[in-house]
Amino acid sequence: MPTFVDMMKCDGCGECVEICPSDIMHIDPIYRRSYNIEPNFCWECYSCVKACPQHAIDVRGYADFAPLGHKVRVLREKEKGSVSWKIKYRDGRVKEFTFPIRTTPWGSIKAPGDYEAPDRSGLSSPLLAHEPTALKVAALPTLPSLKK
Amino acid sequence: MLFSNPFTVLSESIPVFVMQTYVVLMILAVAFGTLFDLYHKRSAEFFALRRKKSEAAAQRRLAGWELASLATRTIGKEVMTSGEFCKWQRQVSHLLIMYGFVLYLITTLLMVFVYARAARTPALVTGLWNIGALMVLAGGLWFFFALKVNVAYEKHSPLRLIPADLFVGSLLTSVAFALLWHFAQTVAKGAAATWVLLILYIFFTTLLFVSVPWSKFAHMFYKPVAAFQKRVEEANGSSDLPTPAKTSNIKG
Repeated sequence: MPTFVDMMKCDGCGECVEICPSDIMHIDPIYRRSYNIEPNFCWECYSCVKACPQHAIDVRGYADFAPLGHKVRVLREKEKGSVSWKIKYRDGRVKEFTFPIRTTPWGSIKAPGDYEAPDRSGLSSPLLAHEPTALKVAALPTLPSLKK
Repeated sequence: MLFSNPFTVLSESIPVFVMQTYVVLMILAVAFGTLFDLYHKRSAEFFALRRKKSEAAAQRRLAGWELASLATRTIGKEVMTSGEFCKWQRQVSHLLIMYGFVLYLITTLLMVFVYARAARTPALVTGLWNIGALMVLAGGLWFFFALKVNVAYEKHSPLRLIPADLFVGSLLTSVAFALLWHFAQTVAKGAAATWVLLILYIFFTTLLFVSVPWSKFAHMFYKPVAAFQKRVEEANGSSDLPTPAKTSNIKG
């Protein structure tokens, strides 16, 4: 279900351009508003939909999801950590779904760049960088060593 | 420079009547350009259709006082403080440009229509003309070189001009040449450079007002209407956005 932008609602902030992993959200040169340059290449991750602070990005649903003539709208609420979807079918029926997207306050998760760069000795360890402290556990479970 | 009226000095070479006619022509160009924009982009039709749809989907009819309250809130937030912007940098830049332009426009009208023939122009008027122009330049240059979304996010060069730059580009050049012309007039009255700067000022000012159908100039008329309509849809229950979540998932 590729996304599209309602240019009347978009204020050209660029959040969707920055977040799109497929790099298909670009800026229209005439109105300086964002638009999906290639819906065929949309991964349907909905990062842009969730990132848009103006709720200006809609989803064009596939026919097996909702028959033609429907409308899909999304509302992300940062302060509640939820994303809600509303599907209005062409016969007037409306379905709404709300999903939790996180349990910690927005901006509270440390970005990878905020951690110290790991040193080379970490290459010989079975742990990934900053494990186990970044996972907030004392130690990771390990397999018992085999007796020879 | 701060306390002289550039149009009084100019009236020694160009009749005041010619200057006033030019200003009236520019006002007519904006009015005609906005009407043409409404016609060829079918904006009025779009707004009428959206309003009709909203009324049909409304869950309740809004009373007159509710509409007045929504209009007041729209003026207070979206119009007066550019509150629709989600980034404070863009909001501040927009406010500098907007209030600077309003000051510059009002004082230009006063200096051309009221004080062009007067022996002395109040320092407040000439001072605000300069301050207004400087505010437009501060907000506009900040926007043009750092905040434009195609520059900030698509990493385009700010000098790579696109049609969307027509409004901000002509506004900045018009105001910049107005200040340069005023400066040249103050330090070197009658010099050829003064006339060159005046011609450039007139050229870019004309471009700013005549290009309304192709530029973003008319957004100052549409934006408040769109913001008001959005508030009406939220209030009468016709908004197509999902119902806000009832509970918070954030722990702690």
